Amino acid sequence: MSLLPAPISAVRPDFLTRVTPVARLVAGIAWLVAAIATLDPIVPIRLMIAAIVALVLWSGLPLRRIPRRLAPLGFAILSLTAFSILLAGANADRSLAAIAEFGPVRLTAPAVSAGLAVGLRVVVIGLTTLLVFGPSDPTRMADSLVQQWHLPDRFAYGTLAALRVAPFMADDWIAIAAARRLRGLQAKGPAARIRETRDRLLVMLVASIRRAERLALAMDARGFDSGIRRTHFRALRMTWRDWLTIAVGLAVAVAALLLPR
Amino acid sequence: MSADDLNGSADRAVGGAKASGPPSIEAIGLGWTYAGRSRPALRDLTFRLEPGRVLLVLGPSGSGKSTLARALVGLVPHVLAGDWQGSLRVGEMNVAETPARLLGERVGLVFQDPDSQLVIARVDDEVAFWLENRGWSRPSMQAQVPEALRQVGLSGFELRVTNTLSGGEKQRLAIADVLAAQPSLLVFDEPTANLDPPGMYATLEQLAGLARQRRHTIVLIEHRLEAALPLADDVLLIDDEGRQLAFAPAGSVGYEAVAMLERSGAWVPRAWHGASPTRAGAGKPGQDSGHRPSATGAPLLLAEGLYFHYPADESGAHAALYGVSLQARAGERIALVGPNGAGKSTLLFILCGLRRPDRGSVGLAALTRENEPAEVLRDPSRLKAREIASRIGLVFQDPELGFVGRTARDEVAATDLAARESGSGRESRPPDPDGVLARFGLGHLTDQDPFRLSQGEQRRLSLAALVLRPPAVLLLDEPTFGLDRRGTEAVMKLLDEFRTTGQAQFLATHDPRLLPHCDRVVAMDRGRVVFDGRPAEFLANPPYSPAGPWRDGVASDLTSAGTLR
Repeated sequence: MSLLPAPISAVRPDFLTRVTPVARLVAGIAWLVAAIATLDPIVPIRLMIAAIVALVLWSGLPLRRIPRRLAPLGFAILSLTAFSILLAGANADRSLAAIAEFGPVRLTAPAVSAGLAVGLRVVVIGLTTLLVFGPSDPTRMADSLVQQWHLPDRFAYGTLAALRVAPFMADDWIAIAAARRLRGLQAKGPAARIRETRDRLLVMLVASIRRAERLALAMDARGFDSGIRRTHFRALRMTWRDWLTIAVGLAVAVAALLLPR
Repeated sequence: MSADDLNGSADRAVGGAKASGPPSIEAIGLGWTYAGRSRPALRDLTFRLEPGRVLLVLGPSGSGKSTLARALVGLVPHVLAGDWQGSLRVGEMNVAETPARLLGERVGLVFQDPDSQLVIARVDDEVAFWLENRGWSRPSMQAQVPEALRQVGLSGFELRVTNTLSGGEKQRLAIADVLAAQPSLLVFDEPTANLDPPGMYATLEQLAGLARQRRHTIVLIEHRLEAALPLADDVLLIDDEGRQLAFAPAGSVGYEAVAMLERSGAWVPRAWHGASPTRAGAGKPGQDSGHRPSATGAPLLLAEGLYFHYPADESGAHAALYGVSLQARAGERIALVGPNGAGKSTLLFILCGLRRPDRGSVGLAALTRENEPAEVLRDPSRLKAREIASRIGLVFQDPELGFVGRTARDEVAATDLAARESGSGRESRPPDPDGVLARFGLGHLTDQDPFRLSQGEQRRLSLAALVLRPPAVLLLDEPTFGLDRRGTEAVMKLLDEFRTTGQAQFLATHDPRLLPHCDRVVAMDRGRVVFDGRPAEFLANPPYSPAGPWRDGVASDLTSAGTLR
C-alpha cells in the first residue's frame, strides 16, 4: 500500500501529452530562467498567466484536482511572500513612504513588490513543473532523456527504478513509527525526537538498500548494461509539435521579460 | 498455446535468440562462498539434468537454493563476488567462463518478490526491458511484447501501470518479462512465496503450462510442495550446509535422503511421508487434533461496526472496510485470511490505532496479573504509547521494520525500559533480557546488531522482544513468511508459549498450513467479514470462488513434526 498521493498526471490526450518530454523540459527551463532573472513581479505574473492558459487548454491534466493537491505549496507561497514583505530592508528606509503601518510594522512599496515577486516565482515554478512532468509518465521522460539527450542508461533507468520504489519507502516510514509506538517508545523533548528521527531514518535506509539490492540484481539478471548497445521499444522523434512547443515556450519567456509594462 | 505460435514468434524475432532446444545442466563439484562469508553457500553439487526436464530443488532456509538459481543465470560468479569451485555447464556453455550476456540469451530467472523485480512503471515497457538490453530491433519487440503478455494471460494490460496490478498479475508479468526473450532454460526462485492464494494458483498454473510444453528446461525452487512436486521430473535435495543429499527422479527418492532432508529442517512433500505411518493423514481438515477450544476467555479486543475509506486522492489500490465487527477472547488464536485487497492490513492498522475508522469503535483491554482483563480503553489511536504497548502488539512480515534496538539485548529490553521510565513498572523484579534471548535460541547473539541476523533469527528476535511485557493482543502479519519447516515450528511453539499467558493472537496469513493451529478463522473479502468460525468449517467450504486455492495444500507437514498439537 502507498500513503503518498499519486502524482498528478494527464487523464486525456491533448496537445502537450503528444509532445516529447524533452521539448516540454526545454520550454519549461526557459520559463524558470525568465522567472528568476529579474526582481520585477510583472515577469512572473505574465508567465503565470501563460502557464494557466497552457494548463487549461492543452495539458490534458484533471483541472479540478489541481488546487487541492497544490494546497501545501499554496501555504508555502503565502508564508514566503508574507515574510519577504515583512522582512525586506526597504521597510526600514525612512525616506520611502509607507503604504501601510501596523504599530511598529511599516510596509513600503518596494518591499511589497519584491515580496510578491518572490511568491509569484514559486507559483511559476510549481505550474511549470506540472506542465513539464504532468502530461506524460516518468518512463517516457526517461526514454526521452536517453534517446534525445543521450544521457547514460544507467542514470536514467536507475532513476526510473528508484521512482517506482519510492512509495514503498513512504510506507516503511509510517510502519517504523507505528512499531515504535506499539513498543511503548515515545520521544519526549527535542533531543529525544531528534534521536528517534535518526533511528527511524536508519531503519528506513537499511530497508531501502535491501530493496535496491534486490532490484539491481533483477536488472542484472535481465542483462541491463551488459555491454550490448541498447535499443528502444518506443520511438521518440521530434515532430512539428515539439518544435512548435519549444519555439512558443521560448517566445513567451522572452516576451515576459522584455515587453514594456 | 500451440507449438506453432511459439515458432511463429521465434521467426519474427529478428536479432533475438537463435533457435535452439532446451539445454542440459551439468554440475561437477560445484561450490560457492560469498565474499566476506566463511561458510560456503553451496558445496560439492554434482548432478546432470537432461534437456527439457523439470527439476525441483528442495532444502531448508540457508541451503543455497537461491545461490544455485543465481549461478544458472551467471549472477554468480559474474555479478556477485565470491569464491567459485568446480564447474557448472548450461548446455555447451561453462558458466564460470561465459560472459553473463551470453548466458542471458538462454537463461531467464523469475524472483520471489514481484515488487523488487519489476523495473519500469508501464507493463509493455516492462516486458520490453530485457529485449532492449539485448539490442532487439523495434519491429521484433513490437511483435514479441504482446505475444509474451498473451502467453501469461495478460493481453490488454499493455498500458497499465505495474504498481496497480495484483500480486498474481505482477508475478505473471515477471514471467512474461522472461518469456519474451525466449530463453531455453527457465529458473524460478520461489515465485509464489509473496502471493495470496488466487495469485499463487494462477502462477502455479502458468508454471504447469510451461512444464507441459516441454520447450524449456525448468529449475523450480518452491515451498508449495503439494502443487510443485507433481510438475517435477527430477528433484535435487540440499541440506542446511549447502551439501547435496540426493539427485533423483521425483518418484524414486530414497527413504534415507528424505529422512535427512526432514532432519535438516526443510518442508517435505506429503507424498514422501508414506514411509512412516504416523504421518499419513495427520492434520487433515476436520481433524485439527488436540488444540483446546478456548473461546471461554474474557474478551480482550472488541471491534464494532468498523467503516473506513481512504481519501479519494490516494491511489485506488487501498481496501476500504464496510462494517467489520469482531472480538478476540483471552487465549484465542485467530487466523485472518483473504485475498490481497480484502482489507486485512487496513483492519490490522485500525486495531492497533495506526488509522482511525470513519465509523465504529475499537476497545482494547489489558491483562492483569491474575489474567483477568482490566478496563477497556477505546480508540487506540488516542492512547499513550505505554498504554497501547501493554494492550496490543504488531509483528511485521519484515521484522526489520519493527526493530528499535542497536543490539539484540537492547531490542528485548526496550519496551520494559520505556515502561519503567514512565513509572508504570508493575513489579520491581529486574528484567533478564539475556535469559530471554537464551530461551529463544539467540543466547550467542546478545550483542549482535539485529539487522545482521538471519531471516529466521530476526523473526525469533521480534517475538523475543515481546516477552518482558507481552501485549494482551498480538497481531502478526505473515509470521511464518519465508521460513522453512523448522523455522515455522519454532515460531508456532513460541506463540503457543505466549498463549499460556492468556494472550489473544491474530495471524494474518496466506499459508493454509497454519489454519489447523488456530481456534478460529476470520475470512475477509472486499472489506467485509465473510466467514467467522472454526478452521475445519472454513477448510470444508471456503467462502471464496474459486475455493480450490484455499483448500488445496493444507499439508500435514507441520502437524507431522510432533512439536505442535
